[in-house]
Amino acid sequence: MSEKTPEKKTEMDRREFLTTTATVGGAMVLGFWMPLSAEAANMPVAPTPWYREAAVPEINAWITIAPDDTVTIRVGQTELGTGVFTANPMMVAEELQCDWKKVRAEYASANRDAREKAPEWTLKVPGNGESDPGGAAPVELENAKGVYRRMIIHSSGNVRESRYYLQLAGAEARERLLLAAANEWGVPVSELVAKDSVITHAKSKRRTTYGAIAAKAARTPLPDPSKIKIKTPDKYTLLGTEQKSLDVPLKVTGEAIYGIDIRLPGMLYAAVKACPVWGGDVQSYNFDRIRNMPGVHSVVRLPFDSLTKSVGFLCGGVAAIADSWWRAKTALDALPVEWNYGSGAGVSSTSLYDLHLATGKQPGEAKTNDGNVDEAMARAAKVVEAVYSVPFSPRARMEPGNATVLVTDNRVDIWSGDQDPQGLLRRAAKLTGITPENVYIHSTFQGGGYGSNGNGPQGEQAVAVANAVRGRPVKMLWTREEDWGTGTKYRPMSVCLMKAGLDAQGWPIAMEVRHATTWSLGDMGYRGLSAPPYFIPNYRLTIHAPKTHVPIGTRRGTGAAPNGFYMESFIDELANIAGKDPYMYRRELISRNPAEPKQGVGGFVHRDDFVRALDMVAKMSGWGTPLPEGWARGIAIDDRRRPTRTTSTICAQVHTVEVTKAGKLTHHRVDVVFEQGFALMNPLSVRKQIEGQIAWGYDDTMYQATTLEEGHAIERNFDKFPVSRMNEYPKQVNIQFMKTNRWITGAGEEAIPQIPPAILNAVFKITGKRFRSIPLKSHDLSWG
Amino acid sequence: MAFTLLVNGVQYSVDAEQETPLLWVLRDSIGLTGTKYGCGIGQCGACTVLMDGNAVRSCFMQAGRAVGRKITTIEGLSPDGSHPAQLAWKEFDVPQCGYCQSGQILTAVALLEKKPKPTDADIDAQMTNACRCGTYHRIRQAIHRAAALRGQ
Ligand code: FES
Ligand code: FES
Repeated sequence: MSEKTPEKKTEMDRREFLTTTATVGGAMVLGFWMPLSAEAANMPVAPTPWYREAAVPEINAWITIAPDDTVTIRVGQTELGTGVFTANPMMVAEELQCDWKKVRAEYASANRDAREKAPEWTLKVPGNGESDPGGAAPVELENAKGVYRRMIIHSSGNVRESRYYLQLAGAEARERLLLAAANEWGVPVSELVAKDSVITHAKSKRRTTYGAIAAKAARTPLPDPSKIKIKTPDKYTLLGTEQKSLDVPLKVTGEAIYGIDIRLPGMLYAAVKACPVWGGDVQSYNFDRIRNMPGVHSVVRLPFDSLTKSVGFLCGGVAAIADSWWRAKTALDALPVEWNYGSGAGVSSTSLYDLHLATGKQPGEAKTNDGNVDEAMARAAKVVEAVYSVPFSPRARMEPGNATVLVTDNRVDIWSGDQDPQGLLRRAAKLTGITPENVYIHSTFQGGGYGSNGNGPQGEQAVAVANAVRGRPVKMLWTREEDWGTGTKYRPMSVCLMKAGLDAQGWPIAMEVRHATTWSLGDMGYRGLSAPPYFIPNYRLTIHAPKTHVPIGTRRGTGAAPNGFYMESFIDELANIAGKDPYMYRRELISRNPAEPKQGVGGFVHRDDFVRALDMVAKMSGWGTPLPEGWARGIAIDDRRRPTRTTSTICAQVHTVEVTKAGKLTHHRVDVVFEQGFALMNPLSVRKQIEGQIAWGYDDTMYQATTLEEGHAIERNFDKFPVSRMNEYPKQVNIQFMKTNRWITGAGEEAIPQIPPAILNAVFKITGKRFRSIPLKSHDLSWG
Repeated sequence: MAFTLLVNGVQYSVDAEQETPLLWVLRDSIGLTGTKYGCGIGQCGACTVLMDGNAVRSCFMQAGRAVGRKITTIEGLSPDGSHPAQLAWKEFDVPQCGYCQSGQILTAVALLEKKPKPTDADIDAQMTNACRCGTYHRIRQAIHRAAALRGQ
């Protein structure tokens, strides 16, 4: 696969390299960076945050305690901006009852996870699900049998899935520390108290610290670990308080190490060009043309075959390897490549839109069919029809895809920030033929994610490149254009045909929703549409599935984002036709659900909480109070509820918007009511997530789309794919949390679906123009 | 073709083509990885550094043109994270993924040099760096705070 220029071949001493790697997994890298600042030595997170073998007593797989009482807590999930490096240690520390100021965080090891089974006591989910304060929200860990359980980060699932076992891990360690102290003093464990890393025995006035007893505790098993209980929220002292992110100090000095920052001795750099049309492959290339360019080492072909497809490649490509990344990229730009574009080459956004529309008119698969829609539609006083759509769009994170990999004959080392370390480990093993137990992932920080499989096959491509030059570490880095144009999956285009029959007072007696979408993943195509919160006695949803070559994946907001846009805009249209206030119209339709709750038509499990959220957001936003000319408020509500579950995160929003007569929009103010359930782990982190989602959802509303021409993506960099800046961020953002009696789904994307409809509903009020597709940049907003 | 760059008060001898973007010389030749790559076309601001006190986008400047200029990267802003902007950023817990923040902080520092008490309109005009995590709300608060800290 590799063509080498002989004179450039400089094998490094592999043995020496591996010895250094093995010693401290990071120390040898440090020499290549600037010396750490004085502050970094005392920071709660190391700049190189990856897993280290414990040098101090390890109580269980999550917790080590040093003699000076420093507690290091291991985090399985990747820190890509959602706060897991703080919230997860908080969940452990709450139970451990240690001194939060002495807590440090580092990554758990995917390799250890591949070698070690989950402890028995982490396997049983306590309590009775999401409505039990002593329980856990639905947990899907069937495939996670390794010690660190669920390491993938997606679906706002970090707290939802890991809270109970992280609490258990903290409790197990606390009980063992107490038991070790009780044994040492010969007193009953029930007489001991643990607080802020200190254990005291009041009667005998004895005290010890976690650091002093840790070594003993590490050798003291619990007689019956299945007896460990987790705290209910009313007992929380740390959880539920606003804690600053442990990793922030590193992120204001440039010291935090992301995948792109890795530098290793003897490292080569690779730049990649993949076939611009997904599903295509390289036909030929001419290495001789770049062989003698400065620093060039070799070219590696990345075929699109059954093996690479099985590890997530989206097309074939070539990688140029050189002694610096800029030289690799410069050479790659000069490399003549012939592509075999494959069957996607003739497709454009226009042709795909037509295909979706046509498919939507064909018979589809019914997901909901309540009452008798056709009969009710026939007797409606008025029938309203509308066609809505969204374009393809990537997650568009800031850090371009990359990974640094060293493959030797019996071991793979990967330095990377990856959303799915366990999956990457398995796929690296598959690509190299090296057993999973010998694949090591040294996790770094990651520059954004915004959806599962958010990083695309960055790690897999890097492994394929490094596998071709075994013995040399290679840093593979995509250009921005590669990342957004070929390296990612997209939130799919979809077209939604909506039709409602209204009675004489303007209330819907029937609704038919025909959703044409390639989103065949789980419930993405119908979440939020199969059981709307509004009481509509005759309701039908059908899914229509056209085929495209565009790779489809989940994106922040998941299916709830387009589906919420459709439902929350259409309901607003109906309110307007009925001549009713859109807040009161929603409120009435939600209240009409029968008291006996069930999912879908004929009852709605969150009825009363939805009404409460609407009332709260109306009040805080000043709904109904006068605004200047050209200003209006728009409202929307959603809970990202899945049809098969009752878990939710209710979020209601009011957006205050101005549109000038010339059509310039200003986003002035956002009021958010966000469900907190029994408790939020770190409310500060949730606030930050919501603030960020406001910019994110605004960008979706205003700017973002991936257009296809001749089968490939047009918007591949910031020039054509705008991201809003400071000047467009609303000057006023108000957030209120709403307590409910259940555990919420999560907080990473629950404020996304409301944003486009709320803004567009306000735009309608101002301009009288009902826009049924986003982004707004393709529409004329002028009025008057 | 070696040339010399003055970065954070240190003279570095660099062995690279002069037309290599400054960003890659900083990151790969010198090893200052706090300066990030986001777009390579001068649009996102992740690569912002200070050159003679002005915020410039290093992906869009040939390294050769930086010879003889005074370059400051995030690593050189303070020895211990104690620059007023860094303190304010920590106080407001600004970063999420953090990837854009070196560029945001340096852009803010350049703004504060010119306008020690920036208004919201000044901030809107100068802070043109992209943050995909949407931390603008906190960046604005942190800039006002940093201005206050500088004044003390
Ligand atoms: S990387 Fe230089 S402006 Fe984006
Ligand atoms: S903090 Fe993530 S891009 Fe700004």
